[in-house]
Amino acid sequence: MRSGRGKAWVLWSMVIVVVVTLALPTLVIIGASFTSGDIIRFPPEGLSLRWYRALWDLGGFRAALGRTAYVSVLCTALAIPVGTLAALALARRRMRFARTIQVYLLLPFTIPLVVSGISMMMLFGEARVLGQLWPVGVALCLINLPFMIWAVSSAVNALDPELENAAMNCGAPPVTVFLTVTLPAVMPGVITGALLMFILAFNEFLVSLFLTDSRTVTLPVQIYNSIRNVITPDLAAVSVVYIVVALAAIWVLDRLVGLEIFLKSK
Amino acid sequence: MTADAPRPASPAHRLPLRWRVMDRVEAVAAALWPAAFRRATPWAFLAPALLLVGILLIGLGYLVSDSLHELNPATYRLRAEYSAGNYEAILHKPVYLAVLWRSLLAAVLVTALTLVFAFPYAYVMVRTRSGALRKLLLVSLFLPFFIGQVVRAYGWLIILGKQGLVNQALEGLGLPAATLIYTYPAVIFGLVQYMLPFAVLMLAPALTAIHEEVELASESLGADWLRTFRHIVIPMAKPGIVGASVVVFTLTLTDFAMPEILGGGTNDFIANTIYDMFFQLSNPGLASALSTVLVAVGSLIVALVFRLAGTGTLGLRSGS
Repeated sequence: MRSGRGKAWVLWSMVIVVVVTLALPTLVIIGASFTSGDIIRFPPEGLSLRWYRALWDLGGFRAALGRTAYVSVLCTALAIPVGTLAALALARRRMRFARTIQVYLLLPFTIPLVVSGISMMMLFGEARVLGQLWPVGVALCLINLPFMIWAVSSAVNALDPELENAAMNCGAPPVTVFLTVTLPAVMPGVITGALLMFILAFNEFLVSLFLTDSRTVTLPVQIYNSIRNVITPDLAAVSVVYIVVALAAIWVLDRLVGLEIFLKSK
Repeated sequence: MTADAPRPASPAHRLPLRWRVMDRVEAVAAALWPAAFRRATPWAFLAPALLLVGILLIGLGYLVSDSLHELNPATYRLRAEYSAGNYEAILHKPVYLAVLWRSLLAAVLVTALTLVFAFPYAYVMVRTRSGALRKLLLVSLFLPFFIGQVVRAYGWLIILGKQGLVNQALEGLGLPAATLIYTYPAVIFGLVQYMLPFAVLMLAPALTAIHEEVELASESLGADWLRTFRHIVIPMAKPGIVGASVVVFTLTLTDFAMPEILGGGTNDFIANTIYDMFFQLSNPGLASALSTVLVAVGSLIVALVFRLAGTGTLGLRSGS
């Protein structure tokens, strides 16, 4: 960045404000989870891992973590084929009604989550599947599906249709073409989308609030239900699980496709 | 193309397993989806997604139909006859309109504040020469984005709460404790913090598309950086600004967790009111009606913005 000091000064101070604001809750939670006291104090009363041990003994949270993992895996496993195929169909071929279909597939984003949550609660209630865990995974896949479609669509540009034609000319049958030419070309998009779907399902809260009950509660809802007026460090230790998972996801994303992919203009 | 079934060959030169498996797969695929269907392949690809989103559509059907039945207070069931009573109740009770206004005001405030701070961040991230710095800015953006709303709200609760870190620090300095939590500003602040990653990620591609030469040209013609921003960068980034505004506005308008956790029931938004109607008043008809109003208001505003400012980066590009 060339040009005046004033510009650098103004921009940098704003950027620093944002970085601090974004990082503060994370840092405070990490700090709070290592306290040795019963409440969160500043300055901290000492370091200990007691809240992590307590966490391991909190049966409810362990079960909730397991259910959250199950729901997230189910959501991702469903999103990969559904989103990838839809993105390929939309991006590659001139279709009739393409615009209508796009508007329709964006419905999960245009309908507010609270409304989606209530609607699916009613529908699943009528279908007598409310209270089971798999509908939660399906619902989370549904509300975040546009992310998956977007991720794959942005990778479709890396795929030259002539390559597919060349493969067919060389005698490759359709499934072979799909598996050896089409899919590898859009793989970065599939991976990005799958990671996004997993993470978003892992910390999705509002729709899960409507679709779970005390027997099927997932971790974000469990944390929400456990928030009291008195701030105790046990929830901080639980939250650190989220911070670790988020860091892992960022690392994987960066290694596989590079975070800079999100800066590219179409 | 027809897939030949593997010919029985002498064991000396059998086809590799992978070939045989692929031949089987092709044969099954060809049987299920003959070449004559080739024209319909895109539709087959789309079908699962269309069906999945169909679940939401059916659910919305239930919602709209419930909104047209009033609650019978005697039985706590919805009455069988259709009526617009729920909608009338919403439009004539000042309390619901107050919630609607509070949410709309928050959406405007949060959108404005978020964009003011997201823009320089996105600009620096795109323009910086240092790869390490760009990486740092990206990570500090993605980490909160990937942690989720509840955990972040909890973090703010530790900082701003009644016995939170700020108040403990004030106490340590011998100052009176401040009421930071369960206030409207706390909710707005939490929401801005929550929306920043969304806004930056919507703005960054639009800023990437602006060539730096344009800015240099403007500055070499004597414009200072503020004027360059005002007349060059911001107008050229308009698609990103429109996209980011629409996303932040609608997410704020319909948010639940931040007003619930940082507002503590004193500053409910529409989503919290809908939730309470459902689970505390046990009135699904009224909750459905308010949900329908929320969808209508949100869609109307977004449609208006698109009409006035174009669809920005949210524009639908039909097939490349």
